[in-house]
Amino acid sequence: MSADTTAKLPWFRRSYRNFSLEEKYAVLGMILIAPTVMTFCAVIAYPLIAAIYLSFFSIYTPTMEGHWVGFSNYATLLQSGEFWRSLWNNIIWTVGTLTLQILFGILVAMMLHQNMVFRSLARSLVLFPYFLSTVVAVLVWKWLFNDLYGVLNHLFMWAGVIDMPVDWLGKMPNAMLSLIFVGAWKYFPFVVIAVLARLQSIPEELYEAAKIDGAGVFARFFDVTLPQLKDVLVVIILLRTIWDFKEFDLINLMTGGGPIIATQTLSLMVYKEAFALNQMGASSAVAVLMMLVMLVFMALYLRKAKGPSE
Amino acid sequence: MTKKINEKKCGSAFGPISRRSVLKGTGAVGLTAAASSLPFSAALAEEVTLRWWSPQASPAQVAAYKYQIDTFEKAHPGVKVKFEKTSDEGYAPQLAAAFASGKVPNMVTHLPSFACSNYWRNGLLEPMNDVINAVGADKYYDGANDIYEIDKGQYSATGIGNGAANMMWLRKDLMEKAGIEKAPVTWDELRSACQKMQGGGVYGAPLPYAKNSMTTLTIIGFIHLAGGHVFNQNLDVDLVTDEAVNALEFYRSMRELCPPGATNYSWGQSLTAFVSGGTATGIYTGRVLINVNKQNPKIADHVTCETYPRISADVSPWTFNAFPSVFIPKAAQNMAETKKLAAWLFNADGYIKQMHGAPGHLLPVLKTIAEDPRYQDNDIIRKYPTEVEKMSRNAAAGKNLGWETTKHKANDKAGAVVNSGVLAELVQRVVLNDEKPREVLKDTAMKIEAIMKG
Repeated sequence: MSADTTAKLPWFRRSYRNFSLEEKYAVLGMILIAPTVMTFCAVIAYPLIAAIYLSFFSIYTPTMEGHWVGFSNYATLLQSGEFWRSLWNNIIWTVGTLTLQILFGILVAMMLHQNMVFRSLARSLVLFPYFLSTVVAVLVWKWLFNDLYGVLNHLFMWAGVIDMPVDWLGKMPNAMLSLIFVGAWKYFPFVVIAVLARLQSIPEELYEAAKIDGAGVFARFFDVTLPQLKDVLVVIILLRTIWDFKEFDLINLMTGGGPIIATQTLSLMVYKEAFALNQMGASSAVAVLMMLVMLVFMALYLRKAKGPSE
Repeated sequence: MTKKINEKKCGSAFGPISRRSVLKGTGAVGLTAAASSLPFSAALAEEVTLRWWSPQASPAQVAAYKYQIDTFEKAHPGVKVKFEKTSDEGYAPQLAAAFASGKVPNMVTHLPSFACSNYWRNGLLEPMNDVINAVGADKYYDGANDIYEIDKGQYSATGIGNGAANMMWLRKDLMEKAGIEKAPVTWDELRSACQKMQGGGVYGAPLPYAKNSMTTLTIIGFIHLAGGHVFNQNLDVDLVTDEAVNALEFYRSMRELCPPGATNYSWGQSLTAFVSGGTATGIYTGRVLINVNKQNPKIADHVTCETYPRISADVSPWTFNAFPSVFIPKAAQNMAETKKLAAWLFNADGYIKQMHGAPGHLLPVLKTIAEDPRYQDNDIIRKYPTEVEKMSRNAAAGKNLGWETTKHKANDKAGAVVNSGVLAELVQRVVLNDEKPREVLKDTAMKIEAIMKG
């Protein structure tokens, strides 16, 4: 076979030594990228495809045995009040805790941006809730909320605000409000870190110019600080929305989704279907629907991350 | 069509190979290569590690387990035993994940009998006949293992102890102060006693209203104490009854006599509420005795127990006994050593230490141990002989959802019903949402029927 004939053959029918330099680079490129692609397939693509695949079966979790049911899991879910209630709870929790996180976060970041005594220490301490293990944080809060020996009830009773201990976690709307508050306490330091970093890079001249124009504290905040924070806040909101939407451990440990299903979010429903009811197929269907909701936020984030140049 | 999802066969030039075999093969090659590079590979290969799970792990119990593990390891060189704690609320998801992944513990102790029957029915457990024979079938109390005999002649588990989980605990000092002369026998008497004793930071009772297994198991008890049942003798759901409505109505009426946080109470919180002096009555096993003596000794001389009150004196008492078990997953590695370990738990010295880890909480299933003077030689057992005797007597006659009465068939779906939480939700809907009991019962019955069919 002549060299010309060999060169016309498709690449996979030729030996490596007959490859052109360009083709050899291409092969090298594929070899170099292979570990990344394989890792991606193992940790992202496989679980995703497996979840979608399992959602079309009725499967008993401990044995992983089951049978094909097609779209039946999805039909049952979409007709069940529990799914919609869990989705609604998810939205309330995400919006509620995120709003508080942003408000606390900006407020504390602004405070820490001022010249104050022990500023470095304060900046370190404010990160404490974020670094604390969720299990430990929940244990502390459950102790604070306890009806018989909790500090909160004792404090409020001592101050005369209440006559009898309040049931913080077993009644609605207390349970959801408590969750939202603890979630905000746990995660607002993330907002502080990001906002503080941006605050430090806002040119001082902008504030000086605003002062010369007669702008007060509030005007300077709304006309200078907030517009400068806009970009970082959009990214924070999108990221925290994605993370808060799939929050599991904090909610499961605080209320377990109760009372009844009043604080049950989709993550808890996935867990309940898979491991309490042993219905892995139905659980996968909830997970897939949850993923579809999160894809919207993900698309927005990716669009934002691409930036204005594109 | 039923098929094993995680073992789909695929063809190859060497015949059909399952995905699991390919993974095993790859893993084996890797492990062999790694092991051959180690200087002491032969010694490592001979060492066997057995994993032991239990939800009961108070410090005194863990100390007893450690003694049993140490003596076992000494008697069986090359075998190591690793104890891992699970929980009453957490064991079901943990075991489901373990069974699904094939990474099962070697031995699981102290889970209720209805959990074993569920796993047995799905072919996940090893028969315990060898272990029972090794312990000595004649050493057990008569019929002690009947509840685990799901299939004729095959034991899904063996009992490790008995427990009377819904004993009513009372404070004699508070009763005297409130002018109550005798322990309540009926619900009306209980409510009246709680009303009289409530006040000054002390609540009447620590009944659970949470979304957990304690609420589920407690309401099952109350339905029986009203003269009803969840299933009829043929295991058809029979929940929409006047008895169940009465039970729910009474349970709702007790809410104002329980601490506000009872909507989140599980076993631990309910126990602590009584032991700390936060409630005048309690509902728990004999663990109350050791906890009161250790944590609140000033009330230790005033506590006593009775069977939980019922709707009227005409209805028989119903004691909830979880029949704590020992079982071995079929997929466990090193089966011979595992069975030896299971049998080792019943050696007199170790078993007595285990019972003394929580005296009165767990009562012996071996008559040889109950009669052993070393078992009787315990401060708590000596101090509360009447209470321990009452608990032993009632636990022996105890029942649970897996076996509601002696006339009922064994219910191998009881574990699934308990773990689903539908009965706890029933309580919460009636008590917290103020929904009509009969309507909620109809809804709950349908959910249980679906579980039974599933």
